Parts: sequence; structure tokens; C-alpha cells
Amino acid sequence: MRLSHVLIAIAAAPAVALPLFGSSYQIYLAELILINVVAAIGLNLLTGNCGQISLCHASLMAIGAYTTALLTTRFAVTYALALPAGIVVTTLLGASLGYPARRLSGLYLALVTLGFLEVVSIVIEEFPDLTGGVRGLKLAKLEFAGWPLNAGALYYFVLGVTVLAIRAGWGLQHSRYGRAFDTVRQSVIVAQALAIPPARTKLLAFSIAAAFAGLAGGLFTAVVGFIDPTEFDISASLRQITFIAVGGLGSVWGSVVGAVVLTLLPETLRGAKEYSDVVYGVILLGALVLAPKGIVGSLALLLGRFHGGKARLP
Amino acid sequence: MTGRIALQLALSGLSVGSIYAIVALSLAIPFKASRVLNFAQGELVTLGAYIALVLTSYGLPYAVIVPATLLIAAAFGLLIERLVIRPIVDAPEFTLVIATFALGLIIRALIRIHWQDNVYFLPAPYAGAAFAIGPLRVNPSYLVIIGTTAVLVALLVLFFARTKLGKAMRAVSFNPIAARLMGIRVSTVFGSAWALSAAIGALAGLLLAPVIGINPELGHLISKALVAAVIGGFGSLGGALFGGLLLGVLETYAGAMFGAAFKEIIPFAILIAILLVRPQGLWGATHARV
Amino acid sequence: MSLLALDNVSVSFGGVAAVRAATMRVEAGEIRGLIGPNGAGKTSLINAITGIVRPDSGSIAFAEQPITALPPDLISARGIGRTFQHVELFRDETVLDNVLTGLYSHHVYGVAAAIVGFGRARQVEADARREAAALLEAFELAPLAGAPVRDLPFGIQKRVDLARALAVRPRMLLLDEPISGMSEAEADAAVATIRALARERDITLLVVEHNMRVMMRLAARITVMHQGGIIAEGTPGEIRGNRLVVDAYLGDKDDHA
Repeated sequence: MRLSHVLIAIAAAPAVALPLFGSSYQIYLAELILINVVAAIGLNLLTGNCGQISLCHASLMAIGAYTTALLTTRFAVTYALALPAGIVVTTLLGASLGYPARRLSGLYLALVTLGFLEVVSIVIEEFPDLTGGVRGLKLAKLEFAGWPLNAGALYYFVLGVTVLAIRAGWGLQHSRYGRAFDTVRQSVIVAQALAIPPARTKLLAFSIAAAFAGLAGGLFTAVVGFIDPTEFDISASLRQITFIAVGGLGSVWGSVVGAVVLTLLPETLRGAKEYSDVVYGVILLGALVLAPKGIVGSLALLLGRFHGGKARLP
Repeated sequence: MTGRIALQLALSGLSVGSIYAIVALSLAIPFKASRVLNFAQGELVTLGAYIALVLTSYGLPYAVIVPATLLIAAAFGLLIERLVIRPIVDAPEFTLVIATFALGLIIRALIRIHWQDNVYFLPAPYAGAAFAIGPLRVNPSYLVIIGTTAVLVALLVLFFARTKLGKAMRAVSFNPIAARLMGIRVSTVFGSAWALSAAIGALAGLLLAPVIGINPELGHLISKALVAAVIGGFGSLGGALFGGLLLGVLETYAGAMFGAAFKEIIPFAILIAILLVRPQGLWGATHARV
Repeated sequence: MSLLALDNVSVSFGGVAAVRAATMRVEAGEIRGLIGPNGAGKTSLINAITGIVRPDSGSIAFAEQPITALPPDLISARGIGRTFQHVELFRDETVLDNVLTGLYSHHVYGVAAAIVGFGRARQVEADARREAAALLEAFELAPLAGAPVRDLPFGIQKRVDLARALAVRPRMLLLDEPISGMSEAEADAAVATIRALARERDITLLVVEHNMRVMMRLAARITVMHQGGIIAEGTPGEIRGNRLVVDAYLGDKDDHA
């Protein structure tokens, strides 16, 4: 894997040097990309590896964002504690989806996650005293255990956390749990024959995905400073699914590539949300129909054919 | 709650439930035929309303707008089936679910680009002030919605029982391989099912437009229609009707008794409860198949 | 006592009885054959043992512990492994990764360790890889370790399936049509491999197979099913001469005797 280490270093260099020469908008955009990477990694483990359809990933991110926001803004909790708290809350709520996943799959599971999404939207709307309702939640200035989070520090924090998240996702994917996920996705019966517990494996997948979503949401709170609930609707969930479908299902690097490319894309288009929705929809549809393995998957396939080697995605 | 209020609520519940039922029916037809759940169906409802809007702007009379809208929508449905669904019909469920969602996203965004979030009104000849029937105040639109649903259901029953195409659709949904062996052109059936479904969706849009106005978010009611379909059981036409009406009535009573927040949540609470306890729906218990 | 004990096990689907009051005992160390014409109920019986279907009545015990109502993954964990008639390998993955999956329950580390990566997880993974490599060696699959399964001939895939099933370290292995799809030469080699592994690894085998010639050579005792019931049990010689068995098969021309 030495070539890929070099590639990573080359790709990472501008990311590390950005605050030195980039505009504040570019730094902000980079932070959004990193947040999307984190969310995509979690979703890919759940959907790409474990094969569970989730339409509510954006809602889980919202839960992380709101929890972290409320703790820092309403209860003056330091961000250093509010962020992990947001992750914990989101993980617990996301784990609850593991229960219907025991017996349901595919379409029916998708509907449960849709129901979850709707319920979260309604709760956000109907408790405006807590969440700011449809008008959103504006946040206080954040401080991290006493230190104020200025622009440069925040960027490096987000970057560092994202790198850790990529490492964690990679570690999981290549561990016995990643193999368990892949097995459950492909055949529950084979999983059972190999003493892999399908229900617990799905529960783990949902919990992990929620944890990543909660982390992404907590980072969002720090970066954006204002939570607009419409940012976390069904089209947001679909956007995240586009990241992993285009980047490569079941691959951590696919999540990274997909999130980076598809967050940058609307920037080049410079349009309103509707235009980016159309572009996302078309890209997603195109990816599903024409390139089901995504960018990374297709590359792996090509390289695999080239030297008849390993078929496992990086 | 007095009897009069209860009746009043029942009427409005049946009316909103009829819309849910119509959309649920439109979901059931392609699901039965090709086992694809069209998550873009809400956008086909919206599209129907906007098509009618465009036709209205040409000054056409209502009596022409209705059939024209249905026909144009049917053409859209056929187009979707050929261009989007056909290439991926054998793909894993993830692909099918997400593809129709993506399609809905595209349609909704295109509508927004052209018409923004403005709310337009569709003048319908029957829309007017509420009048009294006995102790009840009746909105004529409600009556038209309920009546149209009844007629639609009757026509669909006749269609599936008596017409060649209808019977072919039932055969394909029952056993596509056997149907093909019997000489039924399955691709024609699929196309027709999607065309029919789009037309029915557009009908719902036509009925909704005078009542709540035309806006890009009309399609959001697909969430409720999905709940209705789950209550009744997927792919069952009787279930779609039963589920839609039941949901409409329950939702309306819940709202009156417990407030708006409860009214919003109750459909999804029901959805999750049914999927956990009896995913095949409630209607299937009493009827083998419709 | 017997390793596997079935008592009056009945399985039905939608009113149709697939297995009727089956009682049988498999002793530790046996190679037991399970034969019967199509529709005899062999697959349903296997599925009942592995927990995929729940018997309507009767009980199943393994190593004297009841397993009748247990979920299939727990039954596998208790020591019952199986291979699949249609192999059911992960076609896009390598031979090594397929076999490695079977070691899930034996090389354990927590989620936190997996996330961290180095340390405990790395150590345990290395152990797992060593064991997987040993299994590949035993089945002469070592040179194919990195090959994706989809490119391999069916006979080799069957060996991978067997290696994976053994990775679970079962006390008893259910082989579902292990010889189907093989040439005669491959079949003979497979029979030798199966007998050797049963002996060397002290695994009890229950083999479902249509190929009579193979079954007669492989199994020490054979259980015969017909129309859901067990109609005979005995050595290959006893079974061959059994009137009931012959009659059952005369009604079904799919099997080669």
C-alpha cells in the first residue's frame, strides 16, 4: 500500500496548509467537506458494508448538531464536553433503529427510517422553545475547555477529528466487524452458519453510523454557527447517499472521495439549492444505473483486472 | 365531543383520507406489477397540479384541463418507466429505492427552479363556500374528493376485473413468468401500470390544488400515503383504500382531541408501530387479495 | 450419549408436512449419510437442525444440550457447521477473506480495539490469518489465497466452502450435497478429503448427497428419508438390500445408484 500512502500525503498537503494561504470562505468550505466525509464514512459502513438502507442519516446528524448546540448555547457547557455528549445521544437514538432492523429489510426498513426522519423533523418544529423551530437555532461563540475556538484552531480541530474518523472507519472496515457487516449484507443465512449474529451486527452498524453522524453534527455546530432544520431533510439524506454511491459503497476511501467531489461540485456550479438538488439527483441516478460500484469500486475493479489481485476495496 | 362535531370531523377526515387513498392506490399499482415502490409518486401528484396550472394559463376550460392533465401525466409515467425504471428493474433493492427518491428530488427541484415557492391557485368550478346539509357545514370540495375517490375505486375494480389490460396486470403481479408464457407482453403491462399510476397521482393533484394551493411541497403527502399503504398492506388495492380512509379519520380526530403536534406525529407513530408488529398490514387479514 | 439427538421432530410449511416425527441419533465420530428421493424432507431436516426453521414439535439436542428453539447463529456457535449445496461464497472477495470470515467467533476483540487498529486487534487478526492460511494449506488452496472466488471453478469453490465451514471449528459438520457438480475424478478426491478431515480433526459428519456411489463409499451408516419420514437406517450394505428403500427410489428416477 505504499503508493497509496504517497497519494494520501500529496492529497493531504494542501489540506494541512490551507489556513496559511486560503481565504476564510475556502477554509469554511473545507470544513464542510470534512464534516461530510465524517458523515459519509458512518453511512457507508451501515449501507455499503452492512447493506442496511437508511434514509434518516441526516436526521441523526441533526440530533448531534442540536444536542451539541443546546448544551453549549442554553446550558453553557464547554464544547469539549458538548461534542461527545452529542455523539452519545445520537448513538443511543440511532441504535434504536437496530431493533426494527432485526426483522425488516430493504424497503420496509427504508420506510422505518423514513418515519424516523419525519418524527425528528416534527419534533424539531414543534418544540421551538428548545430547538428554535423552523426559524433555526443561532449559536453562542464556542470555547473548547476554556480556549476560544478561532478560525485556524477550529479548522485544525475539524481536520484532526476527520483524520481520526477516517482511521477509525478504516480500522472497523478491515476488522472482524467489517467482515461481519459484509457477510450480513450478502447473506444472513451464511452469517448464521458462521456464528455471526445478524441482529447484533445490524445493531452495531446502526450504532456506529449514528456515532459518526452525531460527530458530524457536532462539528457542524462549531463550523456553521447556525442550525437551519431544513438542512437536515430527506434531500440531505439523499445527498449523503449520493456521496457513498458515487464514491464507492463499502469503502472508506469511497466515502472520502465521494464527499469531497460532491461537496465541491455545487461550488463550481454556483447556483441555488434547487440547481444543486437537480445535479445531485442526476448524478445519483446516473451512478445507480451506470456505475453501481462507484468511483473507488470501479478503480479497484480496473486495477484488480490489471494484475489479477486482491478484490477487497481499500 | 358532540355528535355534530364528530360527524364534521369524520367528513373532513374522510376527505383527506380519500386523497391519501388515491395516492396509496397509485403506489400500489406499479408495486403490484413490477414490485417497485415509486418514492417519486408525490412529485407526480405535484406535477399533475402544475400541468393543470399551465393548461389553465392557456385559457382552456376545466372540462378539457382534467382529461388533458391525466393524459400528459400518463405520458410522463410511461417515460419514467422506460427511461429510469426499466434499466434498473433487476437491481438490488437499495438501487430501486434510492433511484426513485433521486427522481423525485430532480422533479421537485426542477419545479422549484421554474415556479419558485409561490403558491398558485387552481380555479375549479365546484370550489366554493361551504353550505349546510342538516347540522353540518360541508365544503363542496370535500364532497367532490370523496365522490371522485368512490368513482375511481369503482372504475379500478371494473378495470381489473373486466378489461384485458387489467386482467393482464393481475396476472403479471401474481406470476410474471407464467404471464409471459401465456403470451402477455410484460413490458406493455409495466408501462401501462406506471402510466395509470401517474394519471391517478395527477388526479390527486387536481383534487388537492383547489383546496390547499399548488406549491412544490405538495408531494410531501407521499409520506402519509406510504403510511396508508403500510396500514393496508403493500400492493393491496383494498388495503390502500382502507388504509387511506382510516389514516385520514384517525389523524383528524387526533388533531381535534390532542392538538396539532400530536396530529403531525400520529401517522408516523402508526407507521413504525405497524412495521414493527405487523409489516404486512392490517387489511390482509380479512381479504386474501384484491 | 449421542452427539446429535432428534426426537419426534416434525416440520411443516403452510399445512404441508415436510418432516414427520423424525427420530434419529448421530454418534460422535460417525460419518452418517442422509439420503432420500427429491422431496423426502432432507433439506427441511437439515434446516431444523441448523435452526433456520423451527420444528412444530419434537426436540433436537446437541451434545446433550437442547437446541430446538435456538437462533441459527447460536447453534453454529455451539459447534454445528454446514456447507451449502450452491456454495454461497462471497464471489467478489478473495479465497482468504472468505475463509477468514469463518473465524469470526474464534478470534475475538472488541469494537474499541477494532477502531484503534494497532495493538490487540492487529495481534488477533494476525492469529486469524495464520489459522486461515493453515486451512488453505490443508485444502491445497494456498496458491489461490488472493484470487477472487468468482473466477474459480466450481470444484475449487466447493473446497473453499468446506475450508470456511471448518474455520468455525465445528464438532459436527453438515455437508449439503458436497459432490454435486463435480466430475468423477473430483468426486473421488473430495471423498478422500472429507474422510481424512473427519478422521484428523475428529469431526462428526452428516452428509446429504444424491450420488449413491459416493454415499456408499463415504458413509459408515445411512439414514433414509421418504415423504418426510425416516424409513430406514443402517450400513450401506443393509440399505442397498432394503425393500422399502428400493421401492422409494423406484418412484423417483433422479438418483444414480
